[in-house]
Amino acid sequence: MTKPINFKIQICCGTMCYIMGGASLHSLKETLPAEIKDSVSIEGIPCMGLCNQPDAEHQHPCVLINGEIIKNASNHKIVKQLLNHTEL
Amino acid sequence: MTYYNNAVRTKRELLVRLIQLLDSEQLYDKIDRIPLEMRPRTNSPIRCCVHKDRAVLKYKIMASLGFNIADEVDELTPLKDYAKEAINGIDSNGKFLTVVDEACSSCVQVNYTVSNLCQGCEGRPCQVNCPKDAITVINGKANIDHHKCVNCGLCQKACPFHAIAYLPVPCEESCPVKAIKKNEQGIEVIDFDKCIHCGKCMTSCPFGAIAEKSQILDFYDSLRNKNRKMIAMVAPAVLSQFKTKSQNILSAIKAIGFDHVMEVAEGAAITTSNETQELLEHIEEGKSFLTSSCCPSYVDLVEKHVPALKPQVSHTASPMLFTAAKAKEQYPEHDLVFIGPCLAKRKEVYDTKKIKYVITTEELGSLWAALHIDPSKLDTIDGISGNINPESRGFAASGGVSHSILATLGADKNISTQLIDGIDKKSIKLLKAYSKKAPRVDFIEVMACQGGCINGPGNIAPPSLGLSNLKKSIAELSPEPELINA
Repeated sequence: MTKPINFKIQICCGTMCYIMGGASLHSLKETLPAEIKDSVSIEGIPCMGLCNQPDAEHQHPCVLINGEIIKNASNHKIVKQLLNHTEL
Repeated sequence: MTYYNNAVRTKRELLVRLIQLLDSEQLYDKIDRIPLEMRPRTNSPIRCCVHKDRAVLKYKIMASLGFNIADEVDELTPLKDYAKEAINGIDSNGKFLTVVDEACSSCVQVNYTVSNLCQGCEGRPCQVNCPKDAITVINGKANIDHHKCVNCGLCQKACPFHAIAYLPVPCEESCPVKAIKKNEQGIEVIDFDKCIHCGKCMTSCPFGAIAEKSQILDFYDSLRNKNRKMIAMVAPAVLSQFKTKSQNILSAIKAIGFDHVMEVAEGAAITTSNETQELLEHIEEGKSFLTSSCCPSYVDLVEKHVPALKPQVSHTASPMLFTAAKAKEQYPEHDLVFIGPCLAKRKEVYDTKKIKYVITTEELGSLWAALHIDPSKLDTIDGISGNINPESRGFAASGGVSHSILATLGADKNISTQLIDGIDKKSIKLLKAYSKKAPRVDFIEVMACQGGCINGPGNIAPPSLGLSNLKKSIAELSPEPELINA
């Protein structure tokens, strides 16, 4: 049985996000808990341009979960967000 | 090995901002504003107050400009003045680390501390077993007298409640050669007669108080404003640090403004063949074992701390130097720039005087970020040489040198190899023992960083990604399947 994909995660692969902690996000797949693992898709996307906006500091790295921007993302933060959604 | 943290983030943000200011010709106007912009009044301070935070940033910028912070003469000298000086290059005197004393939190001198888990028990084994009489019980809790304590740790072992905690001083603890110590003010000072530039203190300090002296401004100004022609020499470890194909990485390096991009793996092939020859002669002459020589931190370690081992260290030059020789042949007028993950390479470059600049992988990432260069969008193949064998790129991971030598020798030669994966107090002891009594092995590969250059102090990717990325890029560049030992 394959579960439907409930979460589409897009990781910004722009260099700014990458050097500001984004490199660690590339191991997200391994940190996903078993209960949601199969319902998550992960892909890399090119820079969204957020780093050019004023006040961009402390917002990298950026990740989209179903199109919603998560700033200052970490594996932990993403997993927490996903679990919150699944409980709803 | 760097675990990403906010101090690392600060360092990279500073690099990006400096490059951006230089690129937009606003460096002198705005450099003194960086601390204010990065630490605005509204934010809750990291240390005691916003002014301290800004002062810390100011000194971190000084290091990024290439200055030794202890050389400051006048506290009121603006960063602008330092930047003007930095643009023309600063003599490092062969010392590439500097302690940002403002940032150093002067971690405890006494490593043991009584936590509130102390039950004030009747037995008081901590007090009874303390050989220096340093423990008194005040208000039912044990207390350590810092003037008497000698850090023996007996109290911690004796306490059944685990109430006594060991608090390390990260930089001192990580230094394999005891080169960093506190002065009378409690600030750390590096002894460069002992330091081997492994970078472990720098990556271990969570205050970011140990900074490397960067050449980034001098380099980028020469390239952009002085129109110097430059050749990039890219260490194989760089290919392991980004989530994109090798040809994109090399193309994006060229896009910074280099005339040509070379892989240091080209030089690694020459190192391999010369070192293999040397090893065979060594064995023939009955000179016992030979060790590798491509890790500059290890070569420095032998020089300063295990001189008895010197005859065993290979005389073959490092891949970087062979690549530099090749580059100079083709491009005698160009400045050479080594791009890699290594701090000790700065020292090797300083000592050998063939290469003009060293840029770390972290600085490369900052250059791309600042200049909006996106490697994933660039793949004009440049610098990828079809003649490089996979083993040469494999130098970036521990075991790669041995593997390359064994592959050159083929199956008919019976050569035994050993790997010393990471220089720490334990492996230094082992090397000292080997200098007195030779082990039964032909070749020893020594890497200062555990895992090899892919875990160097100037890297970006977390250690878990480095090796798999390297294997991927080697496989992608070579028609044969990847061949490095995991």
